[in-house]
Amino acid sequence: MRELELFFGPQHPGMVGNFSITLKVEGDRILEAIPNPGYLHRGFEKLMELRNWIQNFPMVCRINVIEPDSMEAVYAMAVESLANIEVPERAKYIRTIVLELARLASHLFGAWAYANMLGFDTPAQWAMADRDHILDLFEELTGGRVYHIYILPGGVRRDLPDGFEEKVMHFLHALSQKLPDYNETFFENRIFYERAKNIGKIEKEEAIEWGATGQVLRATGVKYDIRKVEPYLVYDKVEFDIPTREDGDAYSRILVIRDEMLESAKIIMQCIEKMPKGKVYERLPNPFKWKIPKGETYVRVESSRGELGLYMVSNGGNTPYRVHFRTPSFNHGLFILPRLLKGASIADVGNIMISLYVVAPEIDR
Amino acid sequence: MDKELKRRIEEIYKDTEVEFPEANRMVLKTKKENLLPILEFLKREGFRQLKAISCVDWIEEGEFELVYLLSSLNTPLHIMVKVRVGRESPEIETIMKIFENAQVYEREIHELFGVKFRGNPDLSPLFLENWQNLPPFRKDFDTREYVKEKFEQIPFVEEKK
Amino acid sequence: MDRKSIVKWIKEPGKMGHKYSLWAVYFCTGCGIIEIPPVITARWDAERFGVIPVATPRQANLFMITGYVSLKTLKAIIRTYEQMPEPKYTVAFGSCPINGGMYWDSYNTIKHIDKYIPIDGWIAGCMPRPEAIFIAVTKLWMMIDKGKADGYIRYRKNYKFYRRNQEKLFGKLPWPPLYPIEEEENG
Repeated sequence: MRELELFFGPQHPGMVGNFSITLKVEGDRILEAIPNPGYLHRGFEKLMELRNWIQNFPMVCRINVIEPDSMEAVYAMAVESLANIEVPERAKYIRTIVLELARLASHLFGAWAYANMLGFDTPAQWAMADRDHILDLFEELTGGRVYHIYILPGGVRRDLPDGFEEKVMHFLHALSQKLPDYNETFFENRIFYERAKNIGKIEKEEAIEWGATGQVLRATGVKYDIRKVEPYLVYDKVEFDIPTREDGDAYSRILVIRDEMLESAKIIMQCIEKMPKGKVYERLPNPFKWKIPKGETYVRVESSRGELGLYMVSNGGNTPYRVHFRTPSFNHGLFILPRLLKGASIADVGNIMISLYVVAPEIDR
Repeated sequence: MDKELKRRIEEIYKDTEVEFPEANRMVLKTKKENLLPILEFLKREGFRQLKAISCVDWIEEGEFELVYLLSSLNTPLHIMVKVRVGRESPEIETIMKIFENAQVYEREIHELFGVKFRGNPDLSPLFLENWQNLPPFRKDFDTREYVKEKFEQIPFVEEKK
Repeated sequence: MDRKSIVKWIKEPGKMGHKYSLWAVYFCTGCGIIEIPPVITARWDAERFGVIPVATPRQANLFMITGYVSLKTLKAIIRTYEQMPEPKYTVAFGSCPINGGMYWDSYNTIKHIDKYIPIDGWIAGCMPRPEAIFIAVTKLWMMIDKGKADGYIRYRKNYKFYRRNQEKLFGKLPWPPLYPIEEEENG
């Protein structure tokens, strides 16, 4: 049989995001897969060196479009670490609530993408409609549905409006009542089990050697979560568990995500009960004249896809000297994906790619 | 445990400096020749995951600084190994034999800064196509001048009324 | 339906038919892709306006450019646009295609997309809300009624200038020109 070269290109009904893969196939088996990133490259890290510390905030949240809050949080934590700013207690609780709501919304988006790819239309529509209620909550809190610019160095922008806590509890209660329906149609469906079992299997030692983090690592049996290893914000004051599974294939990864959604709901409810009163931000100096002393730092946060890190160097000036984002999709999409696609069949390409939760703008920045 | 590690490193490898700038962070500055032995030593100690490779352009001192970020599954300590390379024709050995996933990070640094990694099988460009200028993340590449030259010379399409 | 719409349906059935069923190509170009799944699913339903996503450009007549465009993406956009059958309409989302937006000093994004392919309508916002997308679709209907949504006619008439701009940016293009270009006589 001859060897052919096919393009699983950017304009394709099975592709979520602007990313392309070149496949060398023989019959139905894939011999080699070569990813082509670069369709979304803007040169962020160079542009951020030309703007102030505060002018960089609207830029930072547009790197990962599906979960912009974790990007804002990691940048604010890096600036606070270099400039020695203390965050008030109430602001830490509010930041935790915002980050966990963003994690829920991102997991529901991932459930939509995966269910749509495999042909389960009904749970896909439910997941997207539930995610819209979270975006309504964000619009009431911050003013925008997708890009919030709410977490600043020194706290958050403004306090919670009246009646916000009741609306969040009402939403979580409604979501937990729908969970048996989701389980029956999607997560514990016999057809889904047949389609996702033993697809894209990673062993435990391979996952550690290849630098995987997030659900890809937790589905192979390693209990590693930045929220427990190096607790930031108020994660050491609330109780939650880290779900893991043993097999390391696509089915385990989606079940880890379902269990994480339940843990996020628990964390939000505990934060709402324990939140103290007080002020929510520290005043910052004049942004045009604010110079941060020399130094470097590395901060990390557990985003919904893995470990998100930021390495920042300051030279004592008005603008950052070097900013480098360590995004989880760079490793998963460019290094792990070609190794999993070798030997798979063409019908499984979309299945494996979405089960690794690769987000295209995080690769290119 | 961290002080113990620092003492052992400084004993075996002379001319490295070890510091603890913040809680749970260790910074190791060393020479180019010591890089591979130190990374093998740290991997045997349990720091098995390479998180990223980063590069900083110190144009006034005439050097590039490569930073290797390592972490472990057993302790919260996070290590940054730093190495300096000259700016005129920067070259260094690849670390693919120790950490396999260094291949993609070295490919990105080669495209954006121009550093050559000896032994890396694939250093083709990732993001840019047909790029003939300086590597874009260097400090002497002026991106606003480039935009004026390339994009604003193209005229709007005239409408025939 | 009142008397005016019955008259319109009898006089130009083709135009009324294709106006109320604009099928959109499924191509996620930039940031704006985050607001397209809410638009096509159950809460803000786009199918009541006749807009559904389809798999290939050969079946579509609406092209939504959602957000900023980089150099590699522009090549894919031009190839997709040239494969769509006529009549075809393009709508650009956000402030980045208008004049560069937030990435005005980036070396890899296109500042004015109007120089390379013709655009019929612009939507402001970053990202535009789903209601703004539906207002744009209804305004496009009004423009089609009056005959003002003529991006594809302009592309055919001025193809020489569009192709010249595309070649200034990319060098020699690997695909042949879509319409024949007459050579100018140099005096």
